[in-house]
Amino acid sequence: MDQALLLLLDAANYILVIVLVAMGLVIVFGLMRVINMAHGELFLLGAYTLVMLQQAGVSYWWGLIAAPLLVGLVGLLMEELVIRHIYHRFLDTILATWGLSIAIKQAVILLFGPGAQSTSAPFAAQLDLLGTPYPAYRLFIMAVALLVVAGTFYLFFRTRFGLAARAVIANRQTAACLGISTRAFDRATFAYGAALAGLAGAVMAPIMSVDPQMGLGFLIPAFLAILVGGAGHLGGPVLGAGLIGATDSVTASLWSPVLAQVVVFTMAVVAIRLFPSGILGGGRK
Amino acid sequence: MRALLTDRRSAVDLVVWGGLALLPLFVGAWQVGQIAQYLTYGIFAMSLALIWGQCGLLSFGHAVFFGLGAYAMSLSTLGMIPGLENWTSSYLGLALAIVLPALAANLLGRFLFYGRGLQGAQLAIVMLAVAVIAERIMTRWPYAGGMNGLMSVPPVDLGAFGWHYELYDPLPLFYGTLAAALLVYVLLESLVRSRRGVVLRALGIDEPRTAFLGHDTRGLKLSVFTLSAAVAGFAGALFAGQFGFVSPPLIGFGLSTEVLIWVALGGRSALLTAFLGAIVVRLAENALADVLGAGWLLGLGLLFVLVMIFLPRGLLGEAYWWIIGRR
Repeated sequence: MDQALLLLLDAANYILVIVLVAMGLVIVFGLMRVINMAHGELFLLGAYTLVMLQQAGVSYWWGLIAAPLLVGLVGLLMEELVIRHIYHRFLDTILATWGLSIAIKQAVILLFGPGAQSTSAPFAAQLDLLGTPYPAYRLFIMAVALLVVAGTFYLFFRTRFGLAARAVIANRQTAACLGISTRAFDRATFAYGAALAGLAGAVMAPIMSVDPQMGLGFLIPAFLAILVGGAGHLGGPVLGAGLIGATDSVTASLWSPVLAQVVVFTMAVVAIRLFPSGILGGGRK
Repeated sequence: MRALLTDRRSAVDLVVWGGLALLPLFVGAWQVGQIAQYLTYGIFAMSLALIWGQCGLLSFGHAVFFGLGAYAMSLSTLGMIPGLENWTSSYLGLALAIVLPALAANLLGRFLFYGRGLQGAQLAIVMLAVAVIAERIMTRWPYAGGMNGLMSVPPVDLGAFGWHYELYDPLPLFYGTLAAALLVYVLLESLVRSRRGVVLRALGIDEPRTAFLGHDTRGLKLSVFTLSAAVAGFAGALFAGQFGFVSPPLIGFGLSTEVLIWVALGGRSALLTAFLGAIVVRLAENALADVLGAGWLLGLGLLFVLVMIFLPRGLLGEAYWWIIGRR
């Protein structure tokens, strides 16, 4: 029973973080048709922002606020300097963001060294859940992720901004004709997607070793989640992350983490074959 | 001869391959051995340029096939394949190194080319995941040497009927590899320049329209992807024979990234520029990496972004198309 509860909580934790990462990716893809390969490095930057600020003596909470802002700014710069010039060349955007990811990773290695940094959670309390002790910080992560995902859904489905954004996603030309500044939306969504990655990085930093290679470990499951769930709908990554995360956590705890990756990957490829545009489907060309 | 003089493309081929053949006259033995190794990278780069430059299939994990070839060659020549312990011929190794990656690519392709979720980016992303997983598996698999890899892989042995000739000394190694590279080039380039090559490029530009014209685009993609994996595996096998050592990084994410950079900087639109890109970038890395340290990769990443934005045909590619007189 205890074991099952722990497994459930850890799986939920993993799923929610992947949702957070995948959400940023899918928003950028939906609006701009850009696959941002540097998303993992934005996650990395979020984690390093927190580490840097904590080492400078700033409290964790300021770090948590600063990370998404700073990484959002980096996203804005990326959009302005690189993406803007090539977003009509689909494959080249993947490669250009890939080049950026190499450059960012190397810059981090140059600045902080290749080794792992560590940072501490703001509270180390263990909560008692049905007799099982569980770190309160992990519950906090889940709360943050849930809040952000709910906030994103609210933003896109219940506000005027979201309505306009969905209009741009549905048909860019028509939206532009209706007087919506698609450039402004490109900038805003790219920065927002980047900020989500930065927040995910900052919130995860205390419970993992922060090293320059950490981005890829989240980028791949996030991508697989989108492929499985479908990129046409915001719910796609949520469903995909749920399936991917649950499979991964269960297999990893029953057998081994390496086998878990193989199982998740095989499952993802089979899912892609069965549902070519994701389980929730795209529906749109 | 007349064709050579009128067709600039063939003239460029002649100059490049002739120049490479004369190279040992001008550089030392150690460097010749070094360049022989880069030639295998060049073959690998051509395999990527074939799918990426010709039919627009981007793969972030092409090293999987290179590494698979290298491991197949090593396991076979070291006599580690169950049932074939006594048959350690290089020919068997080369055959396995070509067949296994081709088989893997074909299976993977059968799953991927029928999807349309992320508008053709599936292959790129799934291959990225494959590369990372392949590297982890090889790191954890004791049979394949685990993290340490397989050591003292014998050189490629071109013998037959009890007669042995090992490609080990720099000069034979260089010319042997050059001949292999030329063979691959001629084979792939004849595909590129054939009518089928035109269809491949059409497929890369607009797949639905190519399909409307009656071409089986999925079948074409599948066969080109398979061919590319076979060539990558062949390059991996040659590499294993030269380097004498294979380890998990060969099959993983790092080398996949590198080959993308070589091909992008050299020029994906022609096999020759991709081939030269691999050699030039490796030579530059040799010369500059010590001076710049970690800054080298930072610079390379930024250069890669700039080339993607401003010169999508690559640095050498722009020169190539300018010389042979096409826009």
